[in-house]
Amino acid sequence: MTALTARPRGRSGLLASRLTILLFLAPALFMFVLFVLVPVAQAAHYSFYDWTGLGPLDKFVGLDNYAAALGSDTFRTAVSNNLLLVALSLLVQIPFSLGLAVLLNRRFTGRALFRLIFFLPYVISEAITGVIFRLLLQPDAVIDSGMKGVGAGGLIQDWLGDPTFVMITLFIIISWKYFGFHLIILLAGLQGIPREIEEAAFIDGAGRWQAFRYVTLPLLGPTIRVSVFLSIIGALQLFDLVFVITGGGPITMGASGATVDASGTMALDMFKTGFTNQSMGAGSAVAVLLFVFCFVVALGYQRLVLRRDVEGALTTNG
Amino acid sequence: MGSDMTTNSAASSAIPTTSLLQRTVRSIRLGIWEIARYAILVAVAAAILVPIVYAILGGFKSNGQLVGDPASVLPTEWVFSNYTDVLFGANAGDFWREAANSLIIAVVAVGATVTFASLAAFTFARMVFPGREAVYTLFTLGLLFPLTVAILPLYVLIKQVGLDANLLGVALPQAAFGLPITIIILRPFFKSIPVELEDAAKIDGCSTFGFFWRVLLPLAKPALATVSVLAVVGTWNSFLLPLVVLQGADQWTLPLGVMNFSTQYVSDQARILAYTVIAILPAIVFYAFAERQLVSGLTAGGVKG
Amino acid sequence: MNLVPKRFLSGVALVALVAGACSSTATTAPTQAAVTTAPTATPAPTAKPVTIEWWHIGTTDPGKSMNAQFAADFMKLHPNVKINITILENEAFKTKLATTMQSGTVPDLFQSWGGGTLAEQAKQGMLKDITADVADIKDTVSGISGWSFEGKVYGIPNDLGIIGFWYNKDLFAKAGITTLPATWTDYLADVSKLKAAGITPLAIAGKDKWPSMHLWTYLTLRIGGGDNLAKMIASGNWNTDACTKAGQEVLKLNALNPYQAGYKSATYDNEAAAVGNGKAAMELMGQWAPTTQAADSTTKKGLGDKLGWFAFPAVDGGTGAATDGVGGGNGYAVGKNAPPEAIEFLKFMAQPAQATLINKNGVGLSPVAGTQGAITDPNLKMVADGLGKAKFVQLYLDQVTTPKVGSAINDATIALFLGASTPEKVCQAITTVASAK
Repeated sequence: MTALTARPRGRSGLLASRLTILLFLAPALFMFVLFVLVPVAQAAHYSFYDWTGLGPLDKFVGLDNYAAALGSDTFRTAVSNNLLLVALSLLVQIPFSLGLAVLLNRRFTGRALFRLIFFLPYVISEAITGVIFRLLLQPDAVIDSGMKGVGAGGLIQDWLGDPTFVMITLFIIISWKYFGFHLIILLAGLQGIPREIEEAAFIDGAGRWQAFRYVTLPLLGPTIRVSVFLSIIGALQLFDLVFVITGGGPITMGASGATVDASGTMALDMFKTGFTNQSMGAGSAVAVLLFVFCFVVALGYQRLVLRRDVEGALTTNG
Repeated sequence: MGSDMTTNSAASSAIPTTSLLQRTVRSIRLGIWEIARYAILVAVAAAILVPIVYAILGGFKSNGQLVGDPASVLPTEWVFSNYTDVLFGANAGDFWREAANSLIIAVVAVGATVTFASLAAFTFARMVFPGREAVYTLFTLGLLFPLTVAILPLYVLIKQVGLDANLLGVALPQAAFGLPITIIILRPFFKSIPVELEDAAKIDGCSTFGFFWRVLLPLAKPALATVSVLAVVGTWNSFLLPLVVLQGADQWTLPLGVMNFSTQYVSDQARILAYTVIAILPAIVFYAFAERQLVSGLTAGGVKG
Repeated sequence: MNLVPKRFLSGVALVALVAGACSSTATTAPTQAAVTTAPTATPAPTAKPVTIEWWHIGTTDPGKSMNAQFAADFMKLHPNVKINITILENEAFKTKLATTMQSGTVPDLFQSWGGGTLAEQAKQGMLKDITADVADIKDTVSGISGWSFEGKVYGIPNDLGIIGFWYNKDLFAKAGITTLPATWTDYLADVSKLKAAGITPLAIAGKDKWPSMHLWTYLTLRIGGGDNLAKMIASGNWNTDACTKAGQEVLKLNALNPYQAGYKSATYDNEAAAVGNGKAAMELMGQWAPTTQAADSTTKKGLGDKLGWFAFPAVDGGTGAATDGVGGGNGYAVGKNAPPEAIEFLKFMAQPAQATLINKNGVGLSPVAGTQGAITDPNLKMVADGLGKAKFVQLYLDQVTTPKVGSAINDATIALFLGASTPEKVCQAITTVASAK
C-alpha cells in the first residue's frame, strides 16, 4: 500500500492511532458520500437509459447515449472550446493573478481597498455577471462607445454574435470574474512565506527578480499548483456564465448537418440535453463524459506536475 | 529584526560605503517601483470596477432606460425606489427574512465545511495510513462531476432523509459540496507547517488533536480565512439547491428573491441589479473581516524561529 | 443558478378552435355560463379543512395581485379551504416542478403551457383527468383541447392568443407605407421601403431563437396548410416541400438585411426594447408584446398608440388559409392528488366574472366567452379577433411535441436566420431529431 512517503525534511510523521484518523476523517467522509457520491452515482446510472426525467427508468439503451454525445458536433465543439479556455486560463489568468498577488504582498496604504476591489467580481453571482456584461456589450453600448472614444472603434466586433470571436469575449468575462479567486489563494500562499527569507536573498546579493524566481516562487510552488489545478478544472466545468451570456450561441451548422453551439461548453451541453431537451439519460451521459475528461486531466496533472509534492500524488495508490 | 540590523551593519562594514549618489539612485529606483506598483494597481482596479460601477448605477435607472439606452452610464432620472424598496418598501420584510435564511444557511454550511475539511485535510497532510491517497482522490472526484445533473437524485435523497422544506436540507448538502475544494486548498497549507513544531508539541505532551487545535490551526489562519471566504461566497450565491429544497416564500434565500422581478416575458433588470448589489453586501463584509485574518498571518512568522 | 426569464415556451396542443367563441362581437354571454357564477356560500359545517397547493408564475403585478385576489375570494366562499400560493419565475418553475414530480409529489394546480410537456406529464400519471368536471364549461372556454391528451382533459387555459406583427405606425408612415401588407410579397416590399428610409425593419432574437422560429412556422403554415403541418409534426418527417419553400422565403427576407444591430446574440428583451424604443419597426410576437415593449422602453409606455398590429400576410401560391394562426398561451394543469376543491377553484377562475379581470388588467387574453368586451387595447382586440376567426391554430412548434424536438426546431431555424444554414439542411436537421424515437 502507501509507503511511508518522505516528509519534506526527511522525518517520519505522527503515527496516529487508527481511531484518531477515523474520527478526523469520518464527518467529512460521511457527508461527502451521502450528499455527493450517492446522488452522483445515481445520476451516472441514468446515462444508460433513455429517460426524460419523469416517471420510471425503463428504457435501457446501454451505451447509446455515449455514442450520440461523442458523435455530436456540439459536444466536439464544446470540447475544443473548453480546451481553449484551459489554455487561455493558464497563459493569461494565472500569471496575471500571480503578478498582482506579488504587488499586493507588501504593506502600503490602500492595500486593503485594492484587495477588496479585486475580489468583488468573484462575489457577484454568474447570473448577475451575465446580466451586467450583456448590457455592457450591446451594440453601441458602454464598451463600444468607450472604444470609439479612445479611437479604437475599428476594433469593435460583434462581441457575442460572431462565432469566431465569442469565445474570446467569454474568456475576458471569465477572467474578470475569477482572477480574484486565484488572487486570494496565491496571496494566502505568499503570506506563508516569511519576509526574512527574501531579505536574506537580497543580502546575499540577489536582485529582486532573482529573489522572486529562485526563492519565492519555489516556496509558492504548492499553492500555485493548486491554483493551476483549480483553474483547469474550472475551465473544463464552465457552465453558468455561458448559459446566461450566450446560451451557447450563436448557432452555426456542423459538418454532419446538425446545429452546433458555437460557444458551447461540455457542461452547457449537459444542461441543454438533460434539462432543456428533457433527455436526462443523455444529459447524464454527457456529464459522465465530462467527468472522465476531468479525471484524466486531473490524473495526468497529478502525475506530471504534482509528483514533486509527493503527498499529492495520485499514483501512490496501491 | 535585531538580527537584520546586525547583518546589515556587518555587510556594510565589509563592503565599501555606498556613495550618496548610489543611495540616491537606489531611493529613486525604489520610489519609481512604488509609483509603478500604484499605477498598475490603479489601472487594474479601474478596469475591474467599470462593470461594478455600471451595475450600481444601473440600479438607479428605470428598467426602460437600462435596457432601452444601454450606452448611457448615468441615470437620466435617478430612481431611488429600486434600492429603497428592497430595504424599506412594502415587501422589505421579504428581503430581511431572506437575508436571515441566507445567513443561517451560510453559518451552518461554512462552519461544517471548514471544520470537517480541516480535520480531513489534516489527516491527508500529516498522517500516514493505507489508502490515504485513494481517499484523498475520492474527495477530489467531487470537483470533477458537474453537480447540476445530480440535482434530481439529490433532492429525492434530501426528501428521504427528511430534510425537505428545511434550511438544513440546503446547508448540509452545500457543506458537502464545499468539502473537495476546501480540502484541496488546505492540504498544502497544513503540510507546510514544519515537522519540528509537531515534534515539539508531542514532547510537550500534546495529543494529536491538541496539536491540531492549538498549533496548526492558528498558524493556518490565512488558509482558513481563504477557504471560509470561498465557502461563504459559494453558499451565498447558490440558487438551484435552495430553489428545489425550500418550500414557500418564507424559506427563500436572497438569490431566490430575485425571481420577483422577472415574468416569463420580461425582467426588470434595473431592480435586479439594485437588489443584487444590496444582497451581496454581507458577503463582501465577511470578506473584509476575513481579510484582516489573512493579513495577520503575515506577522506569525515565528515559524522559522 | 440561471435567470433566463424570458424563455417563452408557451403552448397549446394542436388546436382547432371553435370559430366565433373568442370573437369580440360575442358580448352576449351564453346562458350556461351563469351556472358557475356565485356558488352559494354555505359549506356544510362539518366540512373538512382542505389545502390547495397552487404554483403559478405571475411574479409581478397586475397578475400577482389578481391571482391573490382570486384565491382570497374563493377562500371566502369556502372557509374550509386554504390555498397555498407558490410564485416562481418561469425557468425556476420548470426546474422545481421537475424535481418535485420526481420525488413523488405534484402540486394541485400549476402553470402549464399544454402541448407536449403536458402530454408527457399525463403519460407518466402526474395529472388528474378532469374531463368530466369541465364538461359544463367546454363551450365557454375555448382551447381546452390544447390542455388535453388522448381525448382526456388535464387542465384549462386562462390566456390564449395568436402571434402577429406589431409595428410602429410612425415609422411605417415615414417609409411611405400606406397600406398594411396583405401578402408576403407586399411584406418584403415594405421591408425594402423601410430599409430605404434608413429604418431597421424587423427585430428578432438570435439568442432566444423562438421569435424568428414563429416566423418560419407561419411561412410553413401559409405555404403548405395546417393539415400538412400537422402531418409533419405527427410523422416527424420535415423533408417536405412546404418546409423547404418556407426556408427559401426566409432567405429572401435575410437578403434584405432587415434585422437590428446585434441580432445574432439578442434576447427577446433586446428585441422588445428595439421596437419599444423606436429603433426597429416591427416584431412578430404574441399578445404580451405591448407590456414587454413598455417595460423595456425609456418612456416606460412603449409606443403607446403608435403601436399597431396586423396578421401574418398570406403567401401567394400557398395552400394555407390566411386566417390560420400560430398561437398559444398559459393555463393550469391539475395534479394527480388534487382535491375536488382544486378543480372547483380552477373553474371559479374561469367564470366570466373572474376571467374578465384577466382582460381588464392586461394580464393576458382570456379564452372565456363573454370577456372580450373588457379588452381595452385596440391591438389586443385585433389579436382576439384574429384568434376567433382562425379555423386552424398551430401551437408554438417548440411546445407542441417534446422539448427535444422543440429545441431542434429552434436551433435549426435560427441557424437559417443567422445565415448559417440552408432550407434543406434545416428540414433535415429537424427530421433527424423528430424521427429518432
